[in-house]
Amino acid sequence: MAASPHTVEQLNREAIPRARWLQAVLHFVVNRPLGAVGAVLVLLTATLALTANFVAPYDPLSTDYGAMLSPPDAHHWLGTDSFGRDVLSRIIYGSRTAMTVGLGASLLGASIGSLIGVVSAYFGGRVDLLLQRVLDVFFAFPVIVLALAVVAILGTGAGNVILAIATPMVPRCARVVRAAALSVREMPYVDAARASGFGHRRIILRHMLPNVMAPILIMTTAFLGEAILLEASLSFLGLGVQEPTAAWGLMLRGAAVEFAETAPWMAIFPGLAISLAVFGFNLFGDSLRDALDPRLRTQ
Amino acid sequence: MAFYILKRLLAMIPTLLGVATLIFLLLRVIPGDVVEARYLTQGSQFQSQDLMNQERHKLGLDKPLWRQFTGWMSGLARFDFGLSMWTSAPITDEIKLRFALSLQLAIMASIIASCLAIPLGILAAMKQDTWVDYSVRVFTIAGLATPSFWLGTLMILAMLIFFKWVPPMTFTPLWVSPKENLALLLWPALAVGYRYCAVGTRMMRSTMLEVLREDYIRTARAKGLWLKLILTRHALKNAILPVLTVISMEFAFLLGGLVVTEQVFNLNGLGMLFVEAISHRDYTLTQALVMLVASAFLVVNFMVDIAYAVLDPRIRYR
Repeated sequence: MAASPHTVEQLNREAIPRARWLQAVLHFVVNRPLGAVGAVLVLLTATLALTANFVAPYDPLSTDYGAMLSPPDAHHWLGTDSFGRDVLSRIIYGSRTAMTVGLGASLLGASIGSLIGVVSAYFGGRVDLLLQRVLDVFFAFPVIVLALAVVAILGTGAGNVILAIATPMVPRCARVVRAAALSVREMPYVDAARASGFGHRRIILRHMLPNVMAPILIMTTAFLGEAILLEASLSFLGLGVQEPTAAWGLMLRGAAVEFAETAPWMAIFPGLAISLAVFGFNLFGDSLRDALDPRLRTQ
Repeated sequence: MAFYILKRLLAMIPTLLGVATLIFLLLRVIPGDVVEARYLTQGSQFQSQDLMNQERHKLGLDKPLWRQFTGWMSGLARFDFGLSMWTSAPITDEIKLRFALSLQLAIMASIIASCLAIPLGILAAMKQDTWVDYSVRVFTIAGLATPSFWLGTLMILAMLIFFKWVPPMTFTPLWVSPKENLALLLWPALAVGYRYCAVGTRMMRSTMLEVLREDYIRTARAKGLWLKLILTRHALKNAILPVLTVISMEFAFLLGGLVVTEQVFNLNGLGMLFVEAISHRDYTLTQALVMLVASAFLVVNFMVDIAYAVLDPRIRYR
């Protein structure tokens, strides 16, 4: 039976985007080798986080008092900590904490921030002025100070840490998105939507938000690395994720410093994990920004 | 110009008022107060309620919120921060030495960051999209990705193992003993400066790329001027302003935002003081610290804007 035109069209519709998608990935790898390295590191972290229970050689919480502070060997590739817990397994499970908190905080911060930004740009006038002044206030706080204040109010633990990290990201995202949304507001299609009598909510969510997706995406990837770093910092201070959960910042606290001279693996490897993951996210985000933001394009 | 400066100065007041209100309310939302915090650390949880209320009365914590707020505000207007609720010492005395430490650390770190960012950024722009450019990017982003507390631990560890050297424990002002002072602050400043050079480098690179494409640079090259002369006299002058902006903005945040670095290097700076003050529920001290850091940020912001208006004739102030 000859293929009807309908099915051919269907086939094409499926095939063309896939080929373009592949092409886009190849293009990215060839033109931005550093971005590709970043993407590999990001994928690695994400995969470890998703498959932690299959990949990790030991239970991250099980203590082995017969093998406390044992140096890296065939059994414990990266050694054990002062409770005899396997450092490698804790790092692998730590990626889960880092990804959860990092993704949660940056998605939350970016969505609230971009909503505020678009609303501020759309309504303009007094609403805009008021919102911008409020954001100014938040801007005057150092990031970690704001996060610490939120933790002090809500208490520690992964869920609260997500909120604490998202808070300082909201105003920064709002400002960038507002700038982009200001120009979108002047577009004829927004006028058209308004002329058709659509409500504010529909215009904001359906017409404006999708057209400022590029800056939102850029901010979100930029936040991801920073959020992971902030989570590690808070946990390091003892104000983030709590023991016995496996978290990178937590692993660098207390015993890791105390035994740094005799058991340096406890201090070295978790820090390396943080650096590599954040490095990956930053490289990837950087290249994504170059690729998506035509004003910053330098080639 | 005078009008512009006045206008900008006045515009700071509502922001500062906002900061004051925000931190005032945030602190009251945190569960517990200084009296509870003190008795909890003393281990006697069954302290009589009367005694605690007496203590609260002495600190003025039993007054209605708006009275507390206006009292604090009228003090602030006279630059009187009041007494710390935890130590009952004047807050100015509590902050003085720590502020000196934090300020010096922030200045040193900013200098190190600029010394790295400006040459690296120029280099990356000149060799755009070559391995030099890529290495600069990897170097700076690696700095951004390395947590300062880890880098600090590694530095201390390296010094301990290779040089058997331990940094001094206490802070001595620069004018008392420059050697001890620098021995304490050089390493944290290096760790922080390296970390913060990334943003400056990226900015230097992109503004330099922009400027290098300008007509007057082409003219200068066509005239046969030395590359070195073109770079320093023509390009750098025009490209450096945004870089200095980025670095000075960061400087303001370094003042109060180095909580983690201070913890690692065992420094008694404003950041650690902030953490202590919050955990003691020391309202007055926390408020004073936040106001100090926020006003530093606003003042730096203001000075950058003024510097822009003075240095760049293309910018007109309204």
